[in-house]
Amino acid sequence: MRTMNQRFTKAALGAVAILSAALPASAFFGDDESEQDPDVYLAIVGGDIYTGTGEILRGATMLSKNGKIDEIGYDLYLPEGTEEVDAHGLRVYPGLVALKATSRLTQGTFAPGLKLHEFVPEVDHPDICGDCGKSFEEIVPSAVDPGEYSTEHLATDGFKSDFDESFDPFSGYMVMALGNGITTVQQSSTAVKLKRGEVDGVSLSEKTMTSMSWSGSNPSGKADLREKFRDAARYQDELRRWEEVVKKDKEAKEPSKKGIDSRVLAILQGATLAKFSSNDRDDLLGIARLAQKYHFRPVIEGCVEGWCVADELGRASAYAIINPRVRRDRQENLTHDNGSSIENAAILTRAGVQVAITPGNTSIDMGGISGRDLLSLPLEAGFAIRGGLDERTALEGITVIPARLLGIDHRVGSLEIGKDCDALITDGDLLHYQTFVQYTVVEGKLVYDKQEEIFYKNIRPRPEPDVAATDPGEAPAEGASEEAAASEETPEVEAPSEDAVEEVVEVEDETVED
Amino acid sequence: MKMRKLLFGLAGALALAAPSIAATSTPELFALKVGRAETATGESIEHAVILIENGKIVTIGQDLEIERGIPVIDRSDLVVTPGFVNCYSRAGLSSSGASGTQPSVQASTELYPRQELFGDLLKAGVTTLGLYPPGNGIPGQAVAISTAGTTLEDMILKEGAYLKILMASNSSSRKMLDGAFEKVEKYNETVEKAREKWEKSVEDWDKEHKQRKKDEKDGKELKPEDPKPGDFVAPEPDAVAGPFIKVLDGELPVLFSIRKAGDYLHLLKGIGEREFNWSLRVPLRNDIDLFKVADQIGEKELRVVMEPRLTLMEWTMRERNIPDELTRAGAHVAFIPNGDDLDNMKKWRLHVGHLVKRGMDADAALAAMTLEPARELGLDDRLGSLEVGKDANLLFFDGDPFQPSTKLVSVMSGGNFVGDEELR
Repeated sequence: MRTMNQRFTKAALGAVAILSAALPASAFFGDDESEQDPDVYLAIVGGDIYTGTGEILRGATMLSKNGKIDEIGYDLYLPEGTEEVDAHGLRVYPGLVALKATSRLTQGTFAPGLKLHEFVPEVDHPDICGDCGKSFEEIVPSAVDPGEYSTEHLATDGFKSDFDESFDPFSGYMVMALGNGITTVQQSSTAVKLKRGEVDGVSLSEKTMTSMSWSGSNPSGKADLREKFRDAARYQDELRRWEEVVKKDKEAKEPSKKGIDSRVLAILQGATLAKFSSNDRDDLLGIARLAQKYHFRPVIEGCVEGWCVADELGRASAYAIINPRVRRDRQENLTHDNGSSIENAAILTRAGVQVAITPGNTSIDMGGISGRDLLSLPLEAGFAIRGGLDERTALEGITVIPARLLGIDHRVGSLEIGKDCDALITDGDLLHYQTFVQYTVVEGKLVYDKQEEIFYKNIRPRPEPDVAATDPGEAPAEGASEEAAASEETPEVEAPSEDAVEEVVEVEDETVED
Repeated sequence: MKMRKLLFGLAGALALAAPSIAATSTPELFALKVGRAETATGESIEHAVILIENGKIVTIGQDLEIERGIPVIDRSDLVVTPGFVNCYSRAGLSSSGASGTQPSVQASTELYPRQELFGDLLKAGVTTLGLYPPGNGIPGQAVAISTAGTTLEDMILKEGAYLKILMASNSSSRKMLDGAFEKVEKYNETVEKAREKWEKSVEDWDKEHKQRKKDEKDGKELKPEDPKPGDFVAPEPDAVAGPFIKVLDGELPVLFSIRKAGDYLHLLKGIGEREFNWSLRVPLRNDIDLFKVADQIGEKELRVVMEPRLTLMEWTMRERNIPDELTRAGAHVAFIPNGDDLDNMKKWRLHVGHLVKRGMDADAALAAMTLEPARELGLDDRLGSLEVGKDANLLFFDGDPFQPSTKLVSVMSGGNFVGDEELR
């Protein structure tokens, strides 16, 4: 069985190496397999798979094994008991990654932020709300009597370490997010997988970004930060030199860490990313130069005037978290470029900045700002396209780039063998305003079906699958390649080679013999 | 007029002196004939004859022959059910509560007998109450009382009926639970160490004793001998470890209070591999999502303490009958009134009747007011159903107890009628 799978992989389009890495070590030894839980398979069959890495596989099939992508390709052998999701005539995309998402998603309507007073009747805090813009940490320590609701952990590791224990796997808001394609969210500084009906393994990473302040209105703060970086860099140099010296001279004294900012040091050592919230051209320039000088990659949230200094930011290998629809008036008295530009994302990308995209409001709200909140994340990416960004990068801006910022791009953000099988199945281009998510799969489990949930079931009911147009195993349909040609950047369509098909057939014969 | 006032005054004074209801005593042994007996075990007996001796049911059956000489109380027009048991209440207790981990606290310490309320509850058919300690975290242990008693001794049926633990979805709840069980582990280690020390001291003493005898033979000078170490006495467990040792020994069941479906999964994770008796308390609020784990709760055949309420699905006006769904899934529902006030206790059976109207099995609904709460209190060996050997706590209805027009005609507690009951 194992050898078969490996040969299979060669036949498929992914990299064998990644697959091997993803396989449990015990599988290679083939012992006691009967005692383990049976493997769980799910196949998304016959859809146009947009892998998020540039490739589009028309009418292909993706097989998930125990929550990980096992194979992507054509004419796949589906093991017995595989759950099939029919995606003929539909498109398959990687699950979206939403930065700074509202706590409602993972805490449900019973979010601690919303209903804290139920646990602590004495707390009657007017500011306790899910989306008042304040974080849980800002409200809770002051509002809660430590005896009632232990805040010990808040001091040591913040609210995020609570996510494994506080995750609400039945939150209605989470289902809404899944219905809009979001499968991973940032909560405070934790990345959380939106697993439905499960509480195991929901938090993926913690503290990948460290907030720093750099503002033109606070010159002494800038000077302080510069000093901290200088000291930390000097300490690092001394440490490196000492490491060399100590090999010969064991008596050599280790450089002192005293006075070194541990957060800054962590940034220089690459343990965490420095995140700045800046929009002004001058601030951005300052950050870019600081980053270039001390060799770290800054994450810049906002970055409204980033397009004016894109080259500098590109040279600093910066990440930007931008909202393409944000507006800022140009100040006519300034001679240099300033103000917002719809081309911001496109210009930054061309300069080498990795652009993550967020909506104007990262909550989920039924009223008010509809169309600007988390439920229209793909629409925001669409606005970046309107400003000249290519579609592939726009998709990356809501998938793999935010995943990279959260340090989880090895698991989510694109459809590649060995990664988590988090996929959306849509009835059209994800970045088109009319498109609906039809199904959402998280870690190989179907967690959302548009026709089964109350939210969008009666709005444009699902189109009948057009089986004739995309017969699995056939070469990509004519219409499909035309469509690909029409898009701005035509991604390579890798059709399975003759050899590959032959090999698959061979493997199937083997199975019959088994 | 004056006379009347005087009478009222007298009545008031009487009420103060003896607030609970005067009982009409019955013979030591008597037979009760009723139109139908709903036993709460899923069986209903038409033309039932119940033989009661010293307040206990000795025989129950259909159309049994009654030996000559045994007094007969004939209520052939009425339906009889077991007395109602409310296993989760704060009736008659002050409402303030502390919080934190205090599993040794007993709700019985708050109990104040001879309150008019208990008599009223008895008249309303609630013959047994489970009173829980107030507060968050692990507030303490519940007490089971009889509403008919007038002294603490009479009232208290069982202390430590269950340990209440409030579990929310957060790390502090998890730490609280893990911490309590860790204390048991630590205590066990201490006991083990103390035992080793004791064993060593016994060994030493034995050695010394032998040496002494030898010395005695040799005629050496002897020092006075130390007394022989006594039996091993384990150190006392502390206020947290003590109750949790009982929990793990199966002596003290746990009632986990949760608020939503997600809490249940976190609770399962928190309990982990530990094995002990536990059940659930879930306040049914309007948009509760508990039905999402109904199958999982049913699979474990857990008991769930909840109000008889229909709920609405999140963001909709769609009704759910969660108690019914849980029952069908295999769980055991124990109902409690919608509130601790007299009015809600009186309307309790009508609220349950409403769920029966919306599909719940009537037998399961009756058991949810009698036998299941009795089980929750660990009293199912002596009350909660009409079975041989159980207390004769009976309610007499003039029809189907869940029918709104049906009246509760009389109440019997421990074989005696409550109030001025005319013996026929």
